Amino acid sequence: MVGPFAWFKWQALFRDWRVFADGLGHTVLASILALALALALGILFGMMGTTHEKVFRVINRIYVEFIQNTPLVIQVFFLYNGLPHLGLMLPVLSVGVLGVGIYHGAYIAEVVRAGIESVHRGQMEAALSQGFAFRQAMRHIILPQAARVVLPPLTNQAVNLIKNTSVLAMIAGGDLMYHADSWSADNIYYGPAYVTVGLLYLALCFPLARLARYLERKMEVGA
Amino acid sequence: MKKLGVLVAGMLLVSSLATGCGSATPSGAGTVASGIAKDVQAIKDRGVLKVGVKVDVPKFGYKDPQTGKIDGFEIDLARNMAKKILGDPTKLELSAVTAKTRGPLLDSGDVDMDISTFTVTDERKKSYNFSDPYFTDGVGLLVKKEAGYQSLKDLNGKKVGVAQSSTSKQAVQAQAKNLGVQVSFQEFATYPEIKAALDSGRVDAFSVDRSILFGYLDNSTEILPDKFSPQEYGIATKKGNDGLAKLVNDTVNEKKTSGELDKLIKKWGLD
Repeated sequence: MVGPFAWFKWQALFRDWRVFADGLGHTVLASILALALALALGILFGMMGTTHEKVFRVINRIYVEFIQNTPLVIQVFFLYNGLPHLGLMLPVLSVGVLGVGIYHGAYIAEVVRAGIESVHRGQMEAALSQGFAFRQAMRHIILPQAARVVLPPLTNQAVNLIKNTSVLAMIAGGDLMYHADSWSADNIYYGPAYVTVGLLYLALCFPLARLARYLERKMEVGA
Repeated sequence: MKKLGVLVAGMLLVSSLATGCGSATPSGAGTVASGIAKDVQAIKDRGVLKVGVKVDVPKFGYKDPQTGKIDGFEIDLARNMAKKILGDPTKLELSAVTAKTRGPLLDSGDVDMDISTFTVTDERKKSYNFSDPYFTDGVGLLVKKEAGYQSLKDLNGKKVGVAQSSTSKQAVQAQAKNLGVQVSFQEFATYPEIKAALDSGRVDAFSVDRSILFGYLDNSTEILPDKFSPQEYGIATKKGNDGLAKLVNDTVNEKKTSGELDKLIKKWGLD
């Protein structure tokens, strides 16, 4: 019998390595852009969640609750197949970056909010009493302290974000998972394809996960 | 460092399992005293034949959402196989498969055979046994009426949506090259996803075997007259289950010569 991991299937995979390299490139690109977007959204909405303005806090809640409580798959499917019916045809990479970025932005907003709230309110009061404007106090006093608390969970979000870019496979996004699906559906050499892709995701995520552990330990020592 | 060691050990374990699986000695091809192949006897002992079929391809294998019943040309074939092996067409257990799952399900033994619009290719023959073809179809193109395309020629520079079992991709590519037109491809896991992408304008054409396309034809779409690259459907069985493969192949050829196969094709309006 021929097993799913027969040697000739591995040989075919090594011969077609460019397919997987191309997918890896797409995944890395989408991850970096989505992470940048998620950070920007997360910090903005996270800060909104801690202000005294009720309207900002409501906006924060709507964004976070709506995104966290609907599946990423549906959000991406909507961006891909729903928006064109409304006259907006985004390129597929933008769909991935927007979909994954907005999704993780909501989680990062919660991380940032928790981080800011972990800084004692006396810090803000002291800053304001010293003549800092709210924005200056945030920038120079609160955020630098919050950053140390939020770094480890933030890194975990980055790991999850990389893995979640695999939803691009569903919408012909040209990422690693898409190419693995496409290549292995052609020849049914699914064994080597998915093991290899799994290891490539591991290679991307594992160093980041280690970094999170490292930052966490460093913080404990510092505290 | 210690953790890295554990990780490496884990990977080695996985890879040794993998190679161990790949080099397993042939089994199941032997015959018992009665002259019935071991792999066929195993199905008889179980008393039910497990077949992987499509449930999203009208006329071939389609699950009616109202009744929940799966029916179609390939389901009738599966019943014929159950009758041949077990003497009773109802001793049949159908599993829904997709292009992505039908290979793994055969390998794991969850299904005995796939009768699932499975196009025979040389590359695939390396992994599975295929029967002689029981149906031949051509690849076609479904487009929006409003686009006004007349044939593949008009699709220069356009996007074609195909399923991830892409014999249709190669077929369209070859035909496009002949005509001197350039098309690009977007692959999706299921046919309904391609239809959704066609409706939203993400792709300009939906390409798959014509008989499958007819299931997705509606008021806003039309099938172009192009028909190319014959696709031959075979019944797939696991390599090593060679007794079963022979029985399946003999049965397909029996039905062909007796004219029963043609009758079934007529019954489902596939001629």
